[in-house]
Amino acid sequence: MDTQPIISLSDVSKRFPVGDGEFTALKNINLSFQKAEFAGLVGPSGSGKTTLLNIIGSLDSPSEGKAVVMGKSISALSHRESALLRNHHIGFIFQIYNLLPVYTVFENVEFALLLQNRSADERKKAVMEALDWVGLSSMAHKRPDKLSGGEGQRVAIARAMVKRPAILLADEPTANLDAENAHIVLKMMKKLNKELDTTFLFSTHDEKVMKYLDRIVHLRDGKVEEDEIITTQQAAS
Amino acid sequence: MIRFLLKGILRDRSRSILPIIIISIGVMLTVALSGYMRGAFGDMIDQNARFSTGHVKIMSKAYAENQDQIPNDLALLGIGEMVEGLQQDYPDVEWVPRIRFGGLLDVPDESGNTRAQGPAAGMALDLLSPSSTEIERMNIDKSIVSGRVPQNPGEAIIGDEFARKLELSLGDVFTYFGTTMEGSMTFKSFTVVGTIRFGSIGMDKGMVIVDVSDAQMMLDMEDGAGEVLGFLKGGVYKDEVAVEMATAFNARYEGDEDEYAPEMFPLKAQNNLEGLLEYGETMSGLFVFIFVLAMSVVLWNTGLLGGLRRYNEFGIRLALGEAKHQIYRSMILEATIIGIIGSIVGTLIGLGLSYYMQVVGIDISEMITESSMIMPTVIRSKITPELFYIGFIPGVLAMVFGNMLAGRGIYKRETAKLFKELEV
Repeated sequence: MDTQPIISLSDVSKRFPVGDGEFTALKNINLSFQKAEFAGLVGPSGSGKTTLLNIIGSLDSPSEGKAVVMGKSISALSHRESALLRNHHIGFIFQIYNLLPVYTVFENVEFALLLQNRSADERKKAVMEALDWVGLSSMAHKRPDKLSGGEGQRVAIARAMVKRPAILLADEPTANLDAENAHIVLKMMKKLNKELDTTFLFSTHDEKVMKYLDRIVHLRDGKVEEDEIITTQQAAS
Repeated sequence: MIRFLLKGILRDRSRSILPIIIISIGVMLTVALSGYMRGAFGDMIDQNARFSTGHVKIMSKAYAENQDQIPNDLALLGIGEMVEGLQQDYPDVEWVPRIRFGGLLDVPDESGNTRAQGPAAGMALDLLSPSSTEIERMNIDKSIVSGRVPQNPGEAIIGDEFARKLELSLGDVFTYFGTTMEGSMTFKSFTVVGTIRFGSIGMDKGMVIVDVSDAQMMLDMEDGAGEVLGFLKGGVYKDEVAVEMATAFNARYEGDEDEYAPEMFPLKAQNNLEGLLEYGETMSGLFVFIFVLAMSVVLWNTGLLGGLRRYNEFGIRLALGEAKHQIYRSMILEATIIGIIGSIVGTLIGLGLSYYMQVVGIDISEMITESSMIMPTVIRSKITPELFYIGFIPGVLAMVFGNMLAGRGIYKRETAKLFKELEV
């Protein structure tokens, strides 16, 4: 197994200007995540979960410290290089599925590959495979407004996974799902984590999600309160 | 990617319909108005060329200076030889002598006393030579209201309105009273063989047309003519050719002190047509400028609204790894596609309107009853090759320009806020 961490955070702090002063969202975070981890950032609102996801997702950069993702120092990346890193190595799943309403399920999933200039044949094969993973191949030509909430989130997972990213960042992915759909989605993600060796990193305070995690990083007031490794027996498979 | 964008444009009506409508209307107006102006100015220039100025016109220097007074005493002489020489020097130009004259028309009653009288504007053309193209050029055949074209010396055609005013009928005789080129009094009788309506108020109110040989005899202008008009073959006025020809011709007589020496004038140097041509071009340019400006402002706002509506979409695309410049580029590409569609629709509608206006036209005769200008009474559009792109290019540019302004907002978007923004 490759021991080089896929995500490495050293003394990462993040401050935001507020009025005349500053608000510190993250304080000296030291964390690393290995390939194929299924981990979660857990904590109350304002604990710094989303800020940390932003930095790992190269959507923001730390005020201090060093964040290295896929061997790239986030602070040193230009906007274009950040976009390239996201395009090739990082997938995102949001609380709301945010599918593009005018495009079909197939086209929504295909979009990520269009940005990589892949051939039509390659795209078709990859999209159908991704829809297969989430069990929605039969809905490829439907529009998002014809899907249920659970189906919408599964399409979002397919869209995030179709480019086979090394890292998948999910911000409260089950917040808008009922219990049954939440379990379906989480099982699916767990399966993809095992099959594709993708590192899943959640930001959540949902108990249902926590049951599936192999590692839980508890955050409070921008600091790591506890870094908990869950044993295989504890975590739901 | 273009296919992907096209699907979005076609499926998301609110993204495409409003801009397409705006562009179509703007392009349609530009095309239709340009076509109408080109037609109106073109007709005016064409009528002036046919009736008065030719594409180039040769007069004696002195005649040219006082041409408003029709000073036939300063007319050119030795016309036969001159025209022959001109035909050889300029084989691509057709040269025709013309004599304009003014005088009094007297209509006698059965006993020979004056029944009616009126001032007349006479024009003498080559009507009787078998090789003459003047009848066709002046469209006399089609403009005849009653009767026929003169076929013999001593025959005349007269403005239909003028004939009605003088109560002249076909076969009636009238007598022309005027002065010869030497200044002595002259009179000659003509038989009315036709009445004519050119559709130009200035001419229809008092025009008499006779053969040039009759006029030469009547005005004592043997082998003379007030003006020699040149028409470029093909019938289309080409300013550069006309100006170049006139410059070269006049250079031969530069420094010649003889007031009877000939001088050539291109069309635009006569009857204030240069101003008219420039006015036409300025107006066309102004239309296009106003159109681009107004459309750009409207489309800028439409683009801003579109940007707000698609805020989430752009956020998702940023998160998926599309760079800001790529999104901006795709917006411009979309704008170009929408601009092209709108411009095609607008151009087609504009051309359709222009075609209708070319066939039907607008009758302005009621508005210019007192006018003495040589201008058509029915203003028609003219479809020219320029109409195919005069609205099209500005239409696309306005859409692209408007979206370039609106799209700058994408560069102000903070990716750090994406997660928060995409939760709502």
